[in-house]
Amino acid sequence: MSSKTKSVDGSKCKGESPWKRAFVANAEWPDKEEFLDVIYWMRQAMGIILGLFWGLLPLKGFLGLVLFVAVNAAVIYIYVNNFQNIDEEEYGGMWEITKEGFMTSFAGFLVTWIIIYTGLHIGDSSL
Amino acid sequence: MWSDSLLIVFISICTAFLGEGLTWILVYRTEKYQKLKVEVERQSKKLEKRKEAHGDSLDKQHKKKIEREEERLKNNNRDLSLVKMKSMFAIGFAFTALLSMFNSIFDGRVVAKLPFYPISWIQGLSHRNLPGDNYTDCSFIFLYILCTMSIRQNIQKLLGFAPSRAASKQGGALFATPPAQFK
Repeated sequence: MSSKTKSVDGSKCKGESPWKRAFVANAEWPDKEEFLDVIYWMRQAMGIILGLFWGLLPLKGFLGLVLFVAVNAAVIYIYVNNFQNIDEEEYGGMWEITKEGFMTSFAGFLVTWIIIYTGLHIGDSSL
Repeated sequence: MWSDSLLIVFISICTAFLGEGLTWILVYRTEKYQKLKVEVERQSKKLEKRKEAHGDSLDKQHKKKIEREEERLKNNNRDLSLVKMKSMFAIGFAFTALLSMFNSIFDGRVVAKLPFYPISWIQGLSHRNLPGDNYTDCSFIFLYILCTMSIRQNIQKLLGFAPSRAASKQGGALFATPPAQFK
């Protein structure tokens, strides 16, 4: 179905940089690698931003971890399915897209969360 | 405590660049590696396309062709890992020495506080060489591993040294480069 949509406005953003296309709804992605790269870097940015937020709030415990996984997966799912309308089968199923860059983003999130939390909410007296 | 955590992030950024720099000198810039890499990527993409086009067909001729290409790709992948391996060993040794040096510097020091209670099989890492039984205390090694996991792979990707997805997918588990290298 999505391929049909694409063929109607098939010329959408063709030839533009993948970063410009990333912010255009239903953009065309002739190179799969480019789209997966966009997902990868989006994930990394999201890991750091969420880590910052969780650290500033501060969010603690298992809830913080679960919430990160949920938000991370949900944002990517919505972006792929509702914003870009990608046919996930072309990429080997939603699972392949969902796990793209997940571990790296998770590590980035943990580092940011731990460091901001330590710096802002733990006094040096506890050393 | 905060200065320690920031120092660890800085250390892991430096070691990641150092590691990539050394690998570039020893591996990435060599002609043999570049040739093999291009070849593996080309073959992986070709094979993937062929499999997509004839994946379900029972045509013997196509199957044979695919098998032959898979075999060739496997051989190239093996050569590529061999080219990498020698220098990886050298770099691995150097980094193990560096890591044990940092380990002794930060020995027994709480470098950060975890905002969560780590599960039991992580505690051995997150509380390594730390006194007391407050498991939200974070050891050097845990933070360093996390930093390396995120920073090293991102640097590899930024510099274009990460293996392409098609190559890792077609290479299979045996020859695919692991997603995160700690050393």
